[in-house]
Amino acid sequence: MSRKEMRSISAALAAATCTLLGSGISAPVDAQEEQAWDFNTSLLYYGEDGDRVKDFSVSAIARRMFVDDRYLTLGITVDGLTGATPSGAIRQDVAQTFTRPSGNAAYSVAAGVLPLDDTFKDTRVALSAGWQQPVGETSLINVGASASKEYDYTHFGVNAKYAQDFNQRNTTLSAGFAYSFDSLEPVGGAPTPLTPMLDVGDTSNRLGDQDKDVLDFIFGVTQVVSRNLVVQANYSYSKSDGYLTDPYKVLSLVDGTSGDTLVRSLTPGVEGPSHQFLFENRPGERTKHSIYGQAKYYMSGKVLDASYRYMTDDWEIDSHTVDLRYRIPFGADRYFEPHLRFYTQTEAEFYMLSIPDSLPIPSFASADYRLGNFDAITAGLKYGWRTRNDKEMSVRLEAYRQTGSVPSSQLTGNQAGRDNYPDLNAVILQVGYRF
Amino acid sequence: MNRTVGLVAFTLLLCAGCASMGVEPWERDVLAKQEMQLTTDELEAATDDHIYFSKEASSGGRGFGGGGCGCN
Amino acid sequence: MKKPLLITAILMVWAITVSPIVWSESTVSENLDLSEYKGKVVVLDFWASWCVPCRRSFPWLNTMHDKYAKDGLVIIGINVDNESESAARFLQQFPAEFKISYDANGVLARKFDVQGMPSSFVIGRDGQMHARHLGFKVRRQDEYEAAIVAALQQEIAE
Repeated sequence: MSRKEMRSISAALAAATCTLLGSGISAPVDAQEEQAWDFNTSLLYYGEDGDRVKDFSVSAIARRMFVDDRYLTLGITVDGLTGATPSGAIRQDVAQTFTRPSGNAAYSVAAGVLPLDDTFKDTRVALSAGWQQPVGETSLINVGASASKEYDYTHFGVNAKYAQDFNQRNTTLSAGFAYSFDSLEPVGGAPTPLTPMLDVGDTSNRLGDQDKDVLDFIFGVTQVVSRNLVVQANYSYSKSDGYLTDPYKVLSLVDGTSGDTLVRSLTPGVEGPSHQFLFENRPGERTKHSIYGQAKYYMSGKVLDASYRYMTDDWEIDSHTVDLRYRIPFGADRYFEPHLRFYTQTEAEFYMLSIPDSLPIPSFASADYRLGNFDAITAGLKYGWRTRNDKEMSVRLEAYRQTGSVPSSQLTGNQAGRDNYPDLNAVILQVGYRF
Repeated sequence: MNRTVGLVAFTLLLCAGCASMGVEPWERDVLAKQEMQLTTDELEAATDDHIYFSKEASSGGRGFGGGGCGCN
Repeated sequence: MKKPLLITAILMVWAITVSPIVWSESTVSENLDLSEYKGKVVVLDFWASWCVPCRRSFPWLNTMHDKYAKDGLVIIGINVDNESESAARFLQQFPAEFKISYDANGVLARKFDVQGMPSSFVIGRDGQMHARHLGFKVRRQDEYEAAIVAALQQEIAE
């Protein structure tokens, strides 16, 4: 399930990270006076096309400054998720039936349609808290904690960061870590990996609850290059241990020649899968390395924000991300900001479209499209303005498109002629209000 | 791997040249602007991180600290 | 013949667009003449409209002015903004009871070797540097005030 991957220390780290803006934490320079509490709020709609995932979320970050540049930050996000997500099974020329993760019911997918599992309508609440204060004359420290809960997932995390200025604050070295402990209580219990999807009511291949922990480190250097240019470079290390599998995702077991999913004989009067599906399995650990570089360049009122990130891990996934934002002010009170993001990743070593029965079943296998080969592009526009009561509002609309492919060498038989990769098209609409 | 080495070397080179680079403390007017902070809008950045983390295999990377008005 | 002209033209365009020097109408008092304040304690406070701690230091400087001007304290707020309009906007929100001087080109800032914003320098009745303070911390106000008082109490042998 997509959200299972959402919970990572990186999310906690990012949320906490974003609260730290060097020596001046988002204090609006033109503000009339410093308020006791600063609020940053937003409404977000994320919608994929067709029957796929739709998310509606409300967030708020409250910040209070205490004497001499000490800050308390509290954050809350409430998410409501509906819609369906690809289950990992491939489309067939015939209708297919699946047992729901709960094991209590079945659902069908028409011929030629990509199997989507729509079991999940979920609400998530996430909380975060952070404290930042200067240390001595030229450094600062930030500590925080985060927690989130939804019906089948609980997350707890702590994080800390330290930043030291040099060269009259032109250079800043920073180091941070975050640790999170997440537990999963999958509906029906986590399935024994690489065992078949069973009939409705048969929960014999279920394990209990699972957990995982994630440890992240980040080291960075920020450098003021000139009056108009500041750059940053970071190295991040992430280590995940525990249950990293998606308990709801499966792979189709296919004929080694035709590539068609093997049919399953159903007992009369019993509902269950029409074909043979195996629950996926991912390794119990994952190590990621990332390097990230960012530059912010001011050109007579306009600001260019350009960043690049390279990620590589021991699942053999490599990715490149290029993110460009260009802020164009109009008068003193409003701005437009076009945004372009390019992303590409290579597939995980154990990613496969399906499992052919001509080969032994591998130790690790996943057909989760998010571990496959794909390119993604985001194009968006943000408009921001100062309201009549001198507060800041913004609205941004973005389109996100993912197109992937499975290398032909990994396709079996009839699969070669089909559109196998579940492309993604999504719309992002976010309204922000700062007061 | 070569690319990683190259980028790390670039970063170190950047640090080596750091001592001579920068602006005077009184020349930070542009750097002090909200829109020149490395993370301009933390909610937007957190939202993006959240979305891309759940739809892609990579996450995070963004750092913190530095830039800004350099006051106090 | 054309190449040097082209290079000069490019350099001029670059200088105009990239150079931090903005020709404004602010009073440039590089030649801050402290001789007129001889025998008084002078506090030079370097501030800018974009310096957030300056919003806290101004009310405190006003208090110091109210308390000790009669004893011979002179406070001069030296503004380092490139554009005087930014300084004017700041002064509308945080009025100063003390004298404001302008140093848009940073000549004075460089002369006094300002290490960070804000910075204040306490110059005694004897014309010597008595104290320098980097930054403005509310919790160190007493310390800042003590430095001023110590300078004011200095007896000058005429």
